[in-house]
Amino acid sequence: MNAMTDTPRDWLQPTSVAVDRDASYVSVQATRKTYATRNGDVHAVERADFDIDEGDFVSLVGPSGCGKSTLMSMIGGLETPTSGRITVGGTPIAAPRRDFGYVFQDATLLPWKTVFDNVLFPIRTQKRPVADYLGEAERLLKLTDLWAFRDKRPAELSGGMRQRVAICRGLINDPRLLMMDEPFSALDAITRDDMNLMLAQLWDQVHKTAIFITHSIREAVYLSDRVLVMNARPSRIVADIRVPFARPRRAEMQEDPLFNEICGFVRDTIHEGHGSRQDPTA
Amino acid sequence: MRAIEPDSAARRIGLPLAFALGTLLLWEAVVRAFGIREVLLPTPSAIGLRLVETFPLLMQHAWPTVWESVAGFTIASVLGVALAALLSASGLMRQMLYPNVVLFQLIPKIALAPLFIVWLGIGFQSRLTFSVFISFFPVVIAALAGLDNVDKSLLRLCRALTASSWQVFASVRLPHALPYVFSGMKIATTFAIIGVIVGEFITSQAGLGYLILFASSQADTSLILAAIVVLCAFGLLFYGAVAWLERWTQKAFGE
Repeated sequence: MNAMTDTPRDWLQPTSVAVDRDASYVSVQATRKTYATRNGDVHAVERADFDIDEGDFVSLVGPSGCGKSTLMSMIGGLETPTSGRITVGGTPIAAPRRDFGYVFQDATLLPWKTVFDNVLFPIRTQKRPVADYLGEAERLLKLTDLWAFRDKRPAELSGGMRQRVAICRGLINDPRLLMMDEPFSALDAITRDDMNLMLAQLWDQVHKTAIFITHSIREAVYLSDRVLVMNARPSRIVADIRVPFARPRRAEMQEDPLFNEICGFVRDTIHEGHGSRQDPTA
Repeated sequence: MRAIEPDSAARRIGLPLAFALGTLLLWEAVVRAFGIREVLLPTPSAIGLRLVETFPLLMQHAWPTVWESVAGFTIASVLGVALAALLSASGLMRQMLYPNVVLFQLIPKIALAPLFIVWLGIGFQSRLTFSVFISFFPVVIAALAGLDNVDKSLLRLCRALTASSWQVFASVRLPHALPYVFSGMKIATTFAIIGVIVGEFITSQAGLGYLILFASSQADTSLILAAIVVLCAFGLLFYGAVAWLERWTQKAFGE
């Protein structure tokens, strides 16, 4: 470790797990994902073992190829683990669930539908009574400053607006767990900053359990209650950080020395993993 | 003198119109100047005159051609989209049928027209069936391309939302495929007319194809060309109707 400091890192938690695993809100137990390729097996996720408490905003941060998206897909039921067990609310995950919300890297909006109808798409698809969700759609669109654009088509919106629509769509069914897979990585840096502020504010209103995938360290620390740092080859979780900042999160938090110390620690942890593997791209 | 804007409506519509009019004038002038006989090449004005004279006859023969092509086109469109949906939904069906569809597409289908007469007789059935047969392929190929070409991430979203295959088809694949389907249908309008005309050439007692053949036997070149003018007008209307339907559907689906 390069950046050693004298202050105790009380925000760094031991990577321990609960005693009664299934009692945790989300429990990822000894989970491994291996893909068979022509050049032998590739371990997309070597071993993941962690629990998530209800109401926590948890980021998985790591370099590309560290398996963080695969890990999220397994929790979301979009991929099956090669071995191990994942439970949400005590129930093992075998397939996508109706009480989950998903946001992907591309906004994946239906181009022929309006903003409003795109937000309601999960409701119609899951055959819920649409009338019961009109108020929630309005509330979410107002919280994300999209209400004035409710009748526009995706093509008429900016990239940041489209991603905001996708977040509203992910939240419309009041999910018990929202999964966001690098939702801002296709946006430019300035829009991305705005989106971080927007998401932090939104979180003060919706209070959801969330798993957020990103390769931006500052984004992860700014938004999360907890940051799990992953490394590639072997793909494992190498640090577990409880972010010691109260909500609501303010933009000024990013100037705080403690914020920068945590970001520095995460960066060092990731690069340490890279360095020991002599990765030329590190 | 000020130039007209290159993109103005006056230029977009006026320029091709002026060119066509100029060609007709040149045609008229050349035929008159060289004294070309009417049986060889009538003047545009002679064709126009013949069109007016024989208008009731032309309309009488236009009717079977029109309804057979419209019916053939409609059946071909429905069948084409249905087959494309089947091929897109079932991997087994696709593996089994798609290469054969492509192979069939390569056959010069006009050569098969006499077979349809052998099988279905000399009534409208053979012409209608041949018209369906010939205009069906562009719809299948285009519709299948549209159904297949859906963004993978949209399909992933559908899976995450636990959508059924029918929901994926109805709410994602089909709306996405509509522009493709319509481009196939626009090609099919022309093919459907060709199918009927070829059928009428082979065996018929009515229809514009029959009239053209009849006029040819009478060396009535003006009537041949008058019938072709009617055919063109019909083809244009037909294409326009499909284009209008496309606009209407896009509005309904709100694209």
